[in-house]
Amino acid sequence: MLDLIEPALFAVLTIAIVAAGAGVVLANRITTSALLMAFTFLNIAGMFVLLGAETVAMFQVLIYVGAITVLILYGVMFTPQSPRPYGLFFQTQKYWAALLVVPIAIIVALIAFSFRDSATVGAKGGDLLPLATSVFRDFAFPFEVASVLLLAAMVGAIVLVKRDED
Amino acid sequence: MIQNVWLIPAFPLAAFLIDGLFGRRWLHKWTGVIASAAVGLSALIAIGVFLEVLGGQTRTTVTLYEWIGVGDFHINVAALVDPLSSVMLLVVTVVSFLIFVYSNGYMEHDHGFHRFFTWLSLFVFAMLILVMADNYLLMFVGWEGVGLCSYLLIGFWFERPEPYVAAKKAFVMNRIGDWGYTIGMITTFLVFGSVQFTDVFEHVGIATQANLTLICIAFFFGATGKSAQLPLYSWLPDAMEGPTPVSALIHAATMVTAGVYLVARSMPLFAAAGPSLAVVGVVGAVTAIFAATIALVQFDIKRVMAYSTVSQLGYMFLALGVGAPVAAIFHLATHAFFKALLFLGSGSVIHGLGGEQDMRKMGGLRRKLPVTYWTMLLAGGALAALPPLAGFWSKDEIVAAAFLGGYPVLWAVAILTAVLTAFYVTRAMWLTFHGEPRDHHLYEHAHESPAVMTLPLVALAAGTVVLGIAIGFPPETGFIHRFLGPVAQVEGIAEHAPEAATILVLAAISVAAGVLGILAGLSMYVRHRPDPAAVSRAAGPFYRLLVNKYFVDELYDRRIVDALHAAFGAMWAFDVHVIDGLANRLGWLAAAGGSSLRRAQTGIVGNYALTIVAGLLLVLVVYGGYAAGFFTR
Amino acid sequence: MAVPLGAFIAVSAVLFFIGTAGVLVRRNAVVILMSVELMLNATNLALVAFSRRYSSIDERGSVFVVFIFVVAAAEVAVGLAIVLSAYRNKPTVDVDEIRQLKG
Repeated sequence: MLDLIEPALFAVLTIAIVAAGAGVVLANRITTSALLMAFTFLNIAGMFVLLGAETVAMFQVLIYVGAITVLILYGVMFTPQSPRPYGLFFQTQKYWAALLVVPIAIIVALIAFSFRDSATVGAKGGDLLPLATSVFRDFAFPFEVASVLLLAAMVGAIVLVKRDED
Repeated sequence: MIQNVWLIPAFPLAAFLIDGLFGRRWLHKWTGVIASAAVGLSALIAIGVFLEVLGGQTRTTVTLYEWIGVGDFHINVAALVDPLSSVMLLVVTVVSFLIFVYSNGYMEHDHGFHRFFTWLSLFVFAMLILVMADNYLLMFVGWEGVGLCSYLLIGFWFERPEPYVAAKKAFVMNRIGDWGYTIGMITTFLVFGSVQFTDVFEHVGIATQANLTLICIAFFFGATGKSAQLPLYSWLPDAMEGPTPVSALIHAATMVTAGVYLVARSMPLFAAAGPSLAVVGVVGAVTAIFAATIALVQFDIKRVMAYSTVSQLGYMFLALGVGAPVAAIFHLATHAFFKALLFLGSGSVIHGLGGEQDMRKMGGLRRKLPVTYWTMLLAGGALAALPPLAGFWSKDEIVAAAFLGGYPVLWAVAILTAVLTAFYVTRAMWLTFHGEPRDHHLYEHAHESPAVMTLPLVALAAGTVVLGIAIGFPPETGFIHRFLGPVAQVEGIAEHAPEAATILVLAAISVAAGVLGILAGLSMYVRHRPDPAAVSRAAGPFYRLLVNKYFVDELYDRRIVDALHAAFGAMWAFDVHVIDGLANRLGWLAAAGGSSLRRAQTGIVGNYALTIVAGLLLVLVVYGGYAAGFFTR
Repeated sequence: MAVPLGAFIAVSAVLFFIGTAGVLVRRNAVVILMSVELMLNATNLALVAFSRRYSSIDERGSVFVVFIFVVAAAEVAVGLAIVLSAYRNKPTVDVDEIRQLKG
């Protein structure tokens, strides 16, 4: 009986992710899209927990649901658009897009669903220790570079939105 | 002195450089002095060389340096000093010197004075190279050089269109002949492996008749261009647009004799290739009479002399053709003196009349220009081959050689031409110097030329009187025969050993021909029996034919020049439309390709994302294919 | 019965494909950024799944995910900055209407 918890959780999370994702793309209002995106992030965090990577899940919530969602919401707020019919939500190239995406979807589906590793994935101890060791010891240099990257992005973003004060 | 033979062209070369670089600004009238002195020095050295050759140094090669050394092909800048070249050196330098002195007076008021002596010095340099060379390639350098200087000097007064056109014509016709020379030279190299005279002439036997004939005809074609024989002669009368000293030097005494020298030098080849000599002789004879007929009716005094030159050159080629190269060179030397004198005398007349050249406006000038008159009279007599003047000895030898060599037709043509020659020279002298002056205004202002011009006339006259006897007597065994004989005469050409009686009879016939011509001329012009005007009217169409020079120029213009223009037009069209068109099309292609590819830059970012995803699809297909085993590795 | 690895991969694939569709189809630039985030999340999921299944001592895949977090955050920040300054130019975030790069 307890064995069924995992698959059940997985099924629920999957449905939520797919539905929310589709909702992001197809929603009527932008704010709906933004909130559904946040919901997707949360569910992904759940997936991480299911996989036993709690640290990553925590980071997911902190960064994605916390910072990035807020950023997106800021973006939504600062760029109001006049209301328009639903059809105009989609680019003129939608038919070409469909033409391309469908084959990709098929191929990806074929690849994904042909994955023949029946080994299960379970929590085998937390991931905090290995993660910390890797990041701060084996990948210390990329870690530092990443901080430089963040600095550059921050400065760049500020410069880009600065108004020229006369 | 022979070892210093390279000084002979060095002096004129130095004069050319000095006059060319410094003449305009600093030297002014001194350019003439420098140039004349240079040629004078060359003449002295040439005399020295001649004496040494006379003393027994019959063949020396003086090498300056190796010019081309490529594999087995070696050509030196070297001079071949033998009797033939030493005679040529002497003639060229001495006559040039006298003409240079004369030019100091003739060109005195010309604003191109320094330029004149610059080009004239360069010309003498090139001519000397031509004469001294020991191989065909170096000779060709001189050959081309004199052609260039001829162009520069004919077109000396380029402010007027006629000299420029004449210069172009001369150069182009020369060039056509040069094509012949080049083919001859290249064939010589292919057949003999060398272009050096000694190498080629010693191994004549290794060539086939066909090869030799080709070489000789090709070289002769070049000679017709340079020496104004049929068919490449019509540039010479037009070349009279140049200053008279130029006509005297280049177109009477030196450059036009280069063709004769070429054939004389190449005698071993011509003698071995049977038909070529016949061609040379026939062309020479036909040209001689052809040009003489035109000279009968010309009114420009220089034109008369020009056609006379063509005719006399024909005599020289006739001599070569009948196997008497010594006679040809002899006539070359005497002709240089008396024809130069005739031209310089004409120049004196023109100078004295302030530029008039039309004989119809002259008359009675012998009282006004006495020195000119008497010297020209001597030269005219030499041209008409009156003994004891130089022209008699040389022309008579040619005529005799034609007869004795067994060419009666050519002999008859030569005799007939002699009659015509005597006639036209009498006519020219009478119209210019005798009778009543036809233009009194010109007559009043006519004056004799200054000493700087008349002294060379006297010197040349002295040569005209003396030269023939000095080197040509007795006929067939005189000095020039003993001197040039070993070099010029080669095996295969009949040696004449005629009896004295035969010689006298032939000479008498020649003299009679000359006298006949003179009497006919005097009769027509002094006593008007028959009246020249009536004769021309009676001759009607034939007269018009002669006055218009047989319409040869018009023929050439229409047939050849126009055809060439059409061909050139076609080539130009090809260049513009096909070649340029190709380049333009390629450019248009690049531009068109660019603008059609530009349509991919829509500016819509979504389209760019679409292409990325399309690439992703491609990658997926490839990977998937490999993974699924669809593509073999 | 635990969840097989393949299932996680399948979910990741589906989410990725949804995100791609969003990028290619929606007009609003902000929505496109959201779709890009979806794609990144899908890859994160796949990486963590593989990492948890195959790595023995260190969690290399998860390390990579951490760096993806960093980059994604930076990218959203700068991307939104660009969108905002474009909006200031002409008050639209419609990607079909921003075509000054046309050439």
